Amino acid sequence: MSESFNLPLHPQTEKRERPDPLPVEIAQINAQYGSFRDVTEESLRAKIEADKSKDSWADEEENDSTSADEDTTERLDQLYKRRAAITQFAHQAHMEAMFALDFVSLLLSKHTPRQAEMSMSAYLKQVAPLGSLNSEIVNPPPKPDSAAKDTKNVSRGWRLQNFNSAAAKLLDSATRLEAEAASETNYWNEVLAVKEKGWKVSRLPRERQALGVQYGFLEATPIFRDRGLAALRRTNDGSLILDKGLIPLKARTVRVRVRSGSQITGCSKHRPASDNNESIESRILQARDTVYEEELFHELVREARILGSQGVTTRQNLVQFPVSEGQEVLLDLVDDDQMSPEDETAQSNEHAVVADALAHAIRILLAYAHRQNLRRRTQLPPPLTPKRRQTPEYQLLRPVMAYLQHSSHVRWLESLLNDMDRILKSAGITCDFTATPFSSLSLQRAVDGLPKVEALVQEFLFPYESIFSAQLVTRQSSFQVKVRTNVTTPPLGTHYEVSVNLPQYPDVRPPNRIGLQHEVASVITHFVLLDILTAITQSKGSPVHASGKQDTSRQLTWEAAYPHNGELLALSSTGQCKKMKVSLSRHELTVRAHSVRGIDGVGKLTADKTPAMSSQTWKSDGTPGQLSLMDFIAEVSKE
Amino acid sequence: MHELLLFASVPAHQHHELLQQLAGLTAMQPRHRLERRLIFKAYRKPGLINTRVGASQDLQGNEMQRLNKMLNGGMFYTQVVGSVSEADFGAQLSTAPSGDPDAPMSGTDSGAKFENRPYSYESQPWKLEFRDIPEAGTRSAVTTRLMASASLPRGDITTPMNAWGYSFVTEYVVEGDVFILNDIVIFLHRVLHYPAESPGSHEPRRQLPPFQQMTPLEKTGSYVLQASIAVQDGGNQEMMKTASQHLFGLREQLKSAVRLEQADRLSLDTRAK
Repeated sequence: MSESFNLPLHPQTEKRERPDPLPVEIAQINAQYGSFRDVTEESLRAKIEADKSKDSWADEEENDSTSADEDTTERLDQLYKRRAAITQFAHQAHMEAMFALDFVSLLLSKHTPRQAEMSMSAYLKQVAPLGSLNSEIVNPPPKPDSAAKDTKNVSRGWRLQNFNSAAAKLLDSATRLEAEAASETNYWNEVLAVKEKGWKVSRLPRERQALGVQYGFLEATPIFRDRGLAALRRTNDGSLILDKGLIPLKARTVRVRVRSGSQITGCSKHRPASDNNESIESRILQARDTVYEEELFHELVREARILGSQGVTTRQNLVQFPVSEGQEVLLDLVDDDQMSPEDETAQSNEHAVVADALAHAIRILLAYAHRQNLRRRTQLPPPLTPKRRQTPEYQLLRPVMAYLQHSSHVRWLESLLNDMDRILKSAGITCDFTATPFSSLSLQRAVDGLPKVEALVQEFLFPYESIFSAQLVTRQSSFQVKVRTNVTTPPLGTHYEVSVNLPQYPDVRPPNRIGLQHEVASVITHFVLLDILTAITQSKGSPVHASGKQDTSRQLTWEAAYPHNGELLALSSTGQCKKMKVSLSRHELTVRAHSVRGIDGVGKLTADKTPAMSSQTWKSDGTPGQLSLMDFIAEVSKE
Repeated sequence: MHELLLFASVPAHQHHELLQQLAGLTAMQPRHRLERRLIFKAYRKPGLINTRVGASQDLQGNEMQRLNKMLNGGMFYTQVVGSVSEADFGAQLSTAPSGDPDAPMSGTDSGAKFENRPYSYESQPWKLEFRDIPEAGTRSAVTTRLMASASLPRGDITTPMNAWGYSFVTEYVVEGDVFILNDIVIFLHRVLHYPAESPGSHEPRRQLPPFQQMTPLEKTGSYVLQASIAVQDGGNQEMMKTASQHLFGLREQLKSAVRLEQADRLSLDTRAK
């Protein structure tokens, strides 16, 4: 404290009265003695002791009069001395200022005596009369010639130097301007080249002095529409760069993969990279493609979210949907450089065509959705209401899914019918199957006022329908299966409508709408079986007749005992009974015949199987040399 | 439903340029429109009940009050609008089957036939458009009026209109192009008159004269630019405000081309006196 001894000019006021705010004090204590946590009774006592022995300055201050140390008197002396020195300095300064004032006043009193008199000191007034001092301008002595010459030389030198630097600056700016003009020409040439290629070049709305090129799609969702505009900036050498702001430059593509089981069996083709990656044209194209792809994926995810009930799942960067058992389609957005053939994708190329077709299809559908947006936008708008108009999800996944699902069902049904056909053929029965897959698509249909392209795409947005019809063995009977797939409006999914024309069994009606494949299969096989039974009962042994045998009269006549179980009975004139069981499945047709003695009361046949038990099975591979069904019937019909 | 409007007059020489500007602004091609507009005037049918008003003794039911209000309310002119195509004009001349020796083979030139099909008044679709006089005393700088539209039966419209208490006054044709900008309908149009007004006929025309003979009402051939926006609920101040904000936005955007402004209220008066 003694080092920074400062001197109060005024007598000391009572500082104690100023109330020290508590927080300041606490902070002070903390700083001085450390945390309160360290304060213990002992330490405090020790401190008090120490304070007492030290006799601090605070005590001194408080009991100023009581302490009469030597130190204090010395200090007081020093204090008074310094105070005296300060007052002395102050007096001196005052005196000098007064002298200066008197001098100036005296000087001015020549011209303005009244005002000057006011600021004069009394002593001066006594001593010197007013206006006794004057001043005048004194011409300096003329400079020597050499000096003037020097000045002239110096100034000329300066001027020369300035001229030189100005010339250098002008030259500099001329070259800079030239370079600038060259690069500007370069820039504008490139802009013109871009414009001549047909791109829309315009001013940027935010940055009025910059040029931009519009490559996006006007009908896209607003975020992607606004991204379709990038600034055309000039580098220092005048070449054009495409400034897309914060959007990364990477090219991205929606990749379609087909997965069967755990293997990737097909991947959509990589977009061919443009040959010169550096040209502005290719960069604009790449930006356009990327914005399209990103919008596509955005819309795919948006649509996938509402399709959760139909098995579509989304991950952060993946949309997947099942096609059929064990087969899935995966859609993801990948960087172009990442699309290099991976070990994963190279496993098989079985479904590469499918994947490629899907990739094209979703893009066409997005373009179609854009056209629909334009159509909607240019319609007369409905009146304003507080309710916001929502843009519906585009139909991208739904038509694709419907198509895949439908074609898988159609192929299954076709193979089923083909199997049956082959079995029947091998059994010598001709059955007429006709299939018209995707009969609902008619690409020639012209819709009034709709461009051809849109009409074409629109066809694929309606529910799909395929019709299978068959002319059965007996002349009048036929059946028709309509397969219908619908993913936009309920009823969702694929269902089969089977309609049958069996005059023999007018009561037999299939269920209205069947959704499951095995049910459809059993319904169809059942009808074919019923039809075969009808054919057998109606056969009358004609083929035998044709084969030239004489005993036509002794042919048995079969009657359908339990047609739904495939059982036939024939009663011969001798009272012997023959029973035949026909069973049909997708893989084979089996006819078993044996004689029975009679029918017991319950209707059960008490079969005596040992004697004439004959059976025949026809398979779809059609073993040559087999009897045909009718021949076999004729054979067993013989008594 | 309410309609908010701004108008501007467009001289003929500016028309083409403005079409292009609007096409750029709205990012769509203009949609050409030709409309027949028939004006009908409401009249009070004689013999209607004119109940006394103000007698507090007979308390009128709500329904009755409403009916009275409807029957004794103001009378208005209304328009019946039917859109036509340019091929309909003067069509009767081209299709007159004057002694053409070669009867057209059926089915061979269906496209051409489609184009030359005569204008059929019987199958002309119509729409009734009612517009109230613009609201008075609104501080906002747009024209606001009550509006309603309804589709009418096809064909001869005078009979049903007469039955509803409207008589045919006159008709004209509006020709123009429509643009849509979000919720705003921009209609750049002009009014065309039929060539010679035969004073005797008090019926809508059954055939249209050739289009070249139509004369614009405004002799200089200038157009009217009308920007309108419809609001479902005119009582919703919020919506009305939004709608007029949209219109003002458009006015700002078109400021360098045309000056959109409010129309004189009395010039859009549809009341029948």
